[in-house]
Amino acid sequence: MAIVELKDVSRVYRNGEHEQRALDHVNLSLEEGKFIVVLGPSGAGKSTLLNLLGGLDSPTEGTVTVNGRDISTLTPNELAEYRAASVGFVFQSYNLIPTLTVIENVALVKEIAPNPLSSHDMLKAVGLADHIHQFPSELSGGEQQRVSIARALAKNPHILLCDEPTGALDSQTGVMVLGLLLSMARDMGKTIIIVTHNQNIAKMADTVIRVKNGRIEYCRNQEHPLSVEEVDW
Amino acid sequence: MLLKKLFRTLWQYKAQFISMIIMVALGVGVFLGFNVEWYSLEVNTKEIYDATGFADYRVYSDKGFSETELEAVKAIQGVEDATRFLSLNVSVKDDTDTLALTVSENMNVSGILLMAGEEYDETDTEGFWLSDSYAAANGIGLGDSMTLTYQTISVSGTVKGLVKSSEYLICLPDSNQMMPDYSSYGFVYISPAMLDQAIPSLYRKLMGSLYHQINVKSDLDKAAFVEQADKALGSTRLILSKAETVSWAEAQGEVNEGKTMASILPVLFLAIAILTMVTTMHRITASEKTQIGTFKALGFKDRRILVHYSAYALIIGLIGTALGIGVGYWLGWYIMNPYGAMATYIDMPSWSLHAPRFTWYVLAGINVFLTLIGFLSVRRMLAGTAADALRPYTPKRMRHLRFEETKRFKALGFGTKWNLRDCVRHKARSLMTLFGIVGCMVLLVGGMGMKDTMDSFLDVFYGQAINYATRVNHDSENASLEEGKALAERLKGDWAASRAIQIGDKGYALEIYSVTHDKVRFVDTDMRIVPLTDEGAYVCARIARDFGLTPGDTLTFSPYDSDEHYTVPVAGVLDSMTEGIFMTEAYAARIGVSYTVSCVFTDETDIPEDAHILNRQSKQSIMDSFDTFMDLMNKMVLLLVLAAVVLGIVVLYNLGVMSYTERYREMATLKVVGFKDSKIGRLLISQNLWLTVIGILIGLPAGVGVLQYLLTALASEYELKLTLGAPTYLVSVLLTFGVSLIVGLMVARKNRRIDMVAALKTEE
Ligand SMILES: Nc1ncnc2c1ncn2[C@@H]1O[C@H](COP(=O)(O)OP(=O)(O)OP(=O)(O)O)[C@@H](O)[C@H]1O
Ligand SMILES: [Mg+2]
Repeated sequence: MAIVELKDVSRVYRNGEHEQRALDHVNLSLEEGKFIVVLGPSGAGKSTLLNLLGGLDSPTEGTVTVNGRDISTLTPNELAEYRAASVGFVFQSYNLIPTLTVIENVALVKEIAPNPLSSHDMLKAVGLADHIHQFPSELSGGEQQRVSIARALAKNPHILLCDEPTGALDSQTGVMVLGLLLSMARDMGKTIIIVTHNQNIAKMADTVIRVKNGRIEYCRNQEHPLSVEEVDW
Repeated sequence: MLLKKLFRTLWQYKAQFISMIIMVALGVGVFLGFNVEWYSLEVNTKEIYDATGFADYRVYSDKGFSETELEAVKAIQGVEDATRFLSLNVSVKDDTDTLALTVSENMNVSGILLMAGEEYDETDTEGFWLSDSYAAANGIGLGDSMTLTYQTISVSGTVKGLVKSSEYLICLPDSNQMMPDYSSYGFVYISPAMLDQAIPSLYRKLMGSLYHQINVKSDLDKAAFVEQADKALGSTRLILSKAETVSWAEAQGEVNEGKTMASILPVLFLAIAILTMVTTMHRITASEKTQIGTFKALGFKDRRILVHYSAYALIIGLIGTALGIGVGYWLGWYIMNPYGAMATYIDMPSWSLHAPRFTWYVLAGINVFLTLIGFLSVRRMLAGTAADALRPYTPKRMRHLRFEETKRFKALGFGTKWNLRDCVRHKARSLMTLFGIVGCMVLLVGGMGMKDTMDSFLDVFYGQAINYATRVNHDSENASLEEGKALAERLKGDWAASRAIQIGDKGYALEIYSVTHDKVRFVDTDMRIVPLTDEGAYVCARIARDFGLTPGDTLTFSPYDSDEHYTVPVAGVLDSMTEGIFMTEAYAARIGVSYTVSCVFTDETDIPEDAHILNRQSKQSIMDSFDTFMDLMNKMVLLLVLAAVVLGIVVLYNLGVMSYTERYREMATLKVVGFKDSKIGRLLISQNLWLTVIGILIGLPAGVGVLQYLLTALASEYELKLTLGAPTYLVSVLLTFGVSLIVGLMVARKNRRIDMVAALKTEE
């Protein structure tokens, strides 16, 4: 069953006379529980696609259906509920609250998510059990990114959206974070969509989507994705 | 290019810039306003003191002064000029009004300023030079005829001139009245020639000289003058310096009030303006830090960057000051204008506005200081190499605080923790918010408390202590004690006698009361009505303070024109308008002071004609005279409340916007995670509300403290007791809360417009 369904979706930015079609009549159908990689050159519309799926933005035309629910016409409040219940987000920047400790940053989702997981378990899973009472500024970049993954997963979402999660990390840390993402998503049976510039990551994907000029160039299923260890970094 | 950037940046931070400009304008306006007020009063009163030869000393005698005595005083070394002077309250025929009939032999001293009509002529025998304010209030014009009566004597003539006089700058019939009421009381000058003609020669022979006063212009200090005058006149006289006259003391009192106000309120406003400037400039330069670094990396010299950013502060300072000067003159005019309440109080010819010279230096100083704040803020961001400057500004690292270890803190919700840590992290911002709320509370409590205090003062002193309908002034010089008592008997009233006394070398009044009909009551220092006992003398609070007297102590006084000294125990301290000592008739009789009835307090409306009745004064007319006074009061309170609200809104809004931009990214994150706008809004507002609660808790006692200080500094002559009504507490708390809540909502509403995508796209 398709967990994500895009029908004739466009996202148009208007700047006076100038019109920028960030997404141009996109049709897409993605299956549940898969590891999906989105590739494409800069400015292609990858982030725009992810933002639409995550309910951060609404399409100009077309419908976005997630889990059988049309999210393209929701009010801002309904979108907030959708984000709280159904999606986890990981960005290139870690976006932690500097005035909250690591555990508090994760635990704050308890106030909104309908069935959150234990913050402590999540932090243990990302290997930060020893740092839970530190402030974000006292952690390294990779550690901070792991906190934000823990926070995204603590909501127990259906989909995990990651927009260049390793973009700010060195390649070794990047691989480590990716492996973590992948194993956790696989173990928990999440649908995971990653935007990246890294071709190697694509080798591990169940599905590879390539975006170009606001259109889907191709959307390919891979029968035998490699595991993290098998990829030659 | 840099100039273009200057204006774009101004636009980008318009909320901050506008609020800083408003704060500077308010600070400058209040500072200039109160200084303009007192200084203009000083300049304009000096003008009329000089123009009409306001006397420095007044020498009194019951028997009047002869020309030889005048010459003797004039001959004193250090006396510039002197005049024999008469001021006598007389009735206007066919009317209940009273005029102070005034004659000054030598108009260079205690003279007049002609506003309309003919020049004063000392040989004229049928001309009145009438107070123009009295004339205006009673519809009297030049050429109208008038008849004045004093006992059996009457004087008729026509109004030849409309005048003002510094002797009657504050024209009060007696110390019971606080505000002049020109519809029933004024003054009129006539020439010595007219006086001569009016008084039958027989009468004059009996009474001796009519001139009870010699008014003197002299630079001698009081002790020296008193010594010289006593020597020249051969006996001790009651001598009052100008500081002891209403027309000088009260007017200077107003000036001093203005000075005190100018030294308190503006400090509050200017301090808030400067603190706002410090926090905001720091905040703006911090957020522009990478830009500053970019300029530096591009090769701009530090000096140019410094000049560029200092220019923001200078622009704010200059615009704020320009607006503030407008506000200041308006405020000065508002308090000090010929149509307002001040003009009812002080009868001056000129109401021009002047600012003391030092205010301009202070304003220049403020602008230099503001620019310096801008300069220092950038310099901090510029420090180090271009690479250092390029790195974005990092606020202090988070550290664990002691209170976080407590169980209670751990149990708090994340929002509370977030807000608490945020307050601690941005101490300056939180402190400023507190300061704004405290300032708002102080102004509200101060302003409304002032009115409460005044209201309860009027209620006790005039509503309760004056329990008669009419006060009949009785000729205590020519009537015997028995005649006075008989009058009181007939009017079913109480009576009082008054004598001038000396305690040490200072002049006071001794008032002796016979209270059997409960027509007058006395008020103690706790504003309670108390009866007088026969156990000693009561002193007013000022005497008690000046001589360090408490009940049980003894006090020695001596009546003027007598060598007797009386030493009496102090039975109590009273709150009183009259500066003096008080006792019952029984006690006065026991110690043997002589007295005659000087006024009778009665409810009778049918008051018989009696040769010894000088005039009568109704309680209503006294109460009416407060209307203008209360009007002034109400305006002041309104101004203060307005200022409080503006101050609260501006300070809180500015800081709210600042806190909002500082937490923009955090809020965007919360939004992405799935927090609803309303929840984020509540988080923002709750921080505001905590600070408001703390601010109110500090502001309430602070407001009471400031009010207490103001009362002692400004109105010590009224012996006011601080009173605050429940509505004052309620209104100040609610209004402060309201302001904080409204501003909170205004800021919180903005979070709907947070663009999550844009906010999180950029690197931290
Ligand atoms: N707020 C906006 N206003 C106008 N145009 C925008 C806006 N956001 C994105 N665009 C345009 O939409 C297009 C797609 O942008 P998007 O951020 O999705 O690209 P991307 O594929 O994520 O690129 P990158 O790999 O560089 O992150 C770009 O051409 C961009 O210029
Ligand atoms: Mg992108």
